[in-house]
Amino acid sequence: MEQKFRIEIQNGGSSDTIHFHGNIDSHADYLFAALPGRISKDSLVFDFSKTGRINSMGIALLLRSLKSLKSGKSVDIRIQGASQVNAMLFKMTGIYLMAPEARRE
Amino acid sequence: MFNLGKHGKIVCSAPPAISFGGAHEIHEWPIASSRDKEIIISLLEVIIEGSGEHHEFLRQRAALMADEMLENALYCAPRDMNGNQVYAKGEKRILPPGEKIVFRAAFDGERLFLEVSDSWGKLSPETVKNYIELNLVHDSSTDRAGRGLFFMWKFMKDFYVNVVPGLKTSVGGFLLLEPESCEYGAI
Repeated sequence: MEQKFRIEIQNGGSSDTIHFHGNIDSHADYLFAALPGRISKDSLVFDFSKTGRINSMGIALLLRSLKSLKSGKSVDIRIQGASQVNAMLFKMTGIYLMAPEARRE
Repeated sequence: MFNLGKHGKIVCSAPPAISFGGAHEIHEWPIASSRDKEIIISLLEVIIEGSGEHHEFLRQRAALMADEMLENALYCAPRDMNGNQVYAKGEKRILPPGEKIVFRAAFDGERLFLEVSDSWGKLSPETVKNYIELNLVHDSSTDRAGRGLFFMWKFMKDFYVNVVPGLKTSVGGFLLLEPESCEYGAI
């Protein structure tokens, strides 16, 4: 059963963690558009451990969101929890150039 | 028919065997509306029989490929007289009489064959080649055309596009259960 996409923000000490739940595609557009307004910290972790598929439209939304956060708010962003396929897409499309993998603790 | 080599060169070739490489069972699913996409992806995950890391990785790649193939057939293939896209991505749509999209799949235990056909026949070899070249540039441009086709070319072995202008476009290839190199989805 397809899971409806949602974004959950978990407040941490020095950085917030953004959890992406479900598939990221064209239907996620409005939630990504609202994301910069929900961010208060200058350090973020994007967590994809609850994410399903990310198609080419989803990749475009992620890139747009990363650019907006990094240029508009100078936010440092790290990525964690990507599946094997999603990690490949991040490498292929330059997402990891903008937001490297978070160090595993 | 043409294939695209791993460096984006167009290679003319004979059409693929209709038998899908000798797979014992070919699944064929006609599309009636955009809602069918998720149903087909679920069915596709079921026909990949087996468990373990390799099967799970194949299911992930298969779901992504089916998503891109059906998105292209539903939203990129339909064009008006001026060549402009008729439907916006994500828009709910029901196929009108006369428009036909068919998704086909077969799994032989080692290879998963995938093909989607639409009844528009609007995709040219030059367009596909241009999209692949555009996406081979290693940067992080956001709204880049043809990214879905680029993913198909990158993940699928023997990726092909078969066009009967104005009548039919078929796009397909196969995924390996255990990819040999990074070109076909291995890490």
